[in-house]
Amino acid sequence: MKKMIRYSLATAVLAAGVSINVLASPPSGQVDFGKFTPGDDSEFVEVQIKSNLLSLAAQLVEKQDPATAKLVRSVELIHVNVIGLTDANRADTVTHVRQIRHELETDGWERNVMVQQKNGEDVGVYTKTRGGEALAGLVVTVIEPKDEAVLVNIVGDIRPDQVAMLGEKLNIEPLKQIGAALKDATSKDAASKN
Amino acid sequence: MPATRRSAWRLWLWALLAAPLLLLILFGTLVADCFCLPSEARALRNELIRSSGVEWQQQIALNADTLTLGAVRAGLSLVRLDPGARAAAQSVRTAGVGVYQLASGTPPPDRAAMLAAADSAMIAHGWDRAVGVMDGHDLVAVYVPKENISARRVKCCVMVFDGKEMVLVSARGNLDPLLQYALDQPDLCAQIQHLVQR
Repeated sequence: MKKMIRYSLATAVLAAGVSINVLASPPSGQVDFGKFTPGDDSEFVEVQIKSNLLSLAAQLVEKQDPATAKLVRSVELIHVNVIGLTDANRADTVTHVRQIRHELETDGWERNVMVQQKNGEDVGVYTKTRGGEALAGLVVTVIEPKDEAVLVNIVGDIRPDQVAMLGEKLNIEPLKQIGAALKDATSKDAASKN
Repeated sequence: MPATRRSAWRLWLWALLAAPLLLLILFGTLVADCFCLPSEARALRNELIRSSGVEWQQQIALNADTLTLGAVRAGLSLVRLDPGARAAAQSVRTAGVGVYQLASGTPPPDRAAMLAAADSAMIAHGWDRAVGVMDGHDLVAVYVPKENISARRVKCCVMVFDGKEMVLVSARGNLDPLLQYALDQPDLCAQIQHLVQR
């Protein structure tokens, strides 16, 4: 009897531990970029807009533009890192960004855009889809070897058609293009699952 | 004189004597409160000063609470004011500002370490960093509460350091008047579009 109680107790503790771990794990589209070392006298910017601020932004535009409010509400987190590159941190930062890209590819993220220009500028866009209809996360990595490295992570339940619609509405060309690219990515993902 | 009447009389006498004293204490507390930063800004300042390990000199520390700003708003309602300025004044509910300077000849502390110290102090008080910028000698950090915030109750705390001087600002406000003012602008959409396209 004592043994049984002990086993049930152990199982309960284990189950609680697992559920706590699941609850504590970040949303599937969230990426931890890790720590960057800012170079001396160089620029370093970090912006983290979480759901409470996004919800506030949605409240502010709700009356004026319900569609935009809906799009803003579908985003859970916007994380932007800009790291100015100097001789002291260039090599480490570039290696760090490439490591992030490698981890994204091994973690099942899809690489949608990869541009490497002659001047060394290197852009990568990665997406993670949710059920083939929406995006769980979007990561943009930019390395401009002379100036800076930029990392962007957008997490949420983002519908590509909403992004495209917002681009059309505000007549913002890059947003239109991103919306179209995201539509392609999600439809490809849905096709591959079928 | 009956005993009950005498004790009531004594009570009134004590109350009469205590009232000016209480008013004085209340007034003193209100005045002292005007020179004391809000709790989150105080925690931020204390941690920054402690972790930097250098000497800082306080230039000014002011705090305007709901009562003070309410009186200011009431006063402003009697004067002619630009609608934008009026909306801004109506939006701020409480505000505190502290300015601190490095003692002369003191080398500026490490900005990354300052930011890390500020983060730990604010996280312990339930705040998250929304923005962190380091550029040259400058350091800027903007913190917002982790809890849900609404347009009617927005709080933020800002720290700016330029290599010599550190400014801490903490404010709570209601964005409704500012939002209404923005919505009343006829070319708001065009302005937003222009801003986004830039």
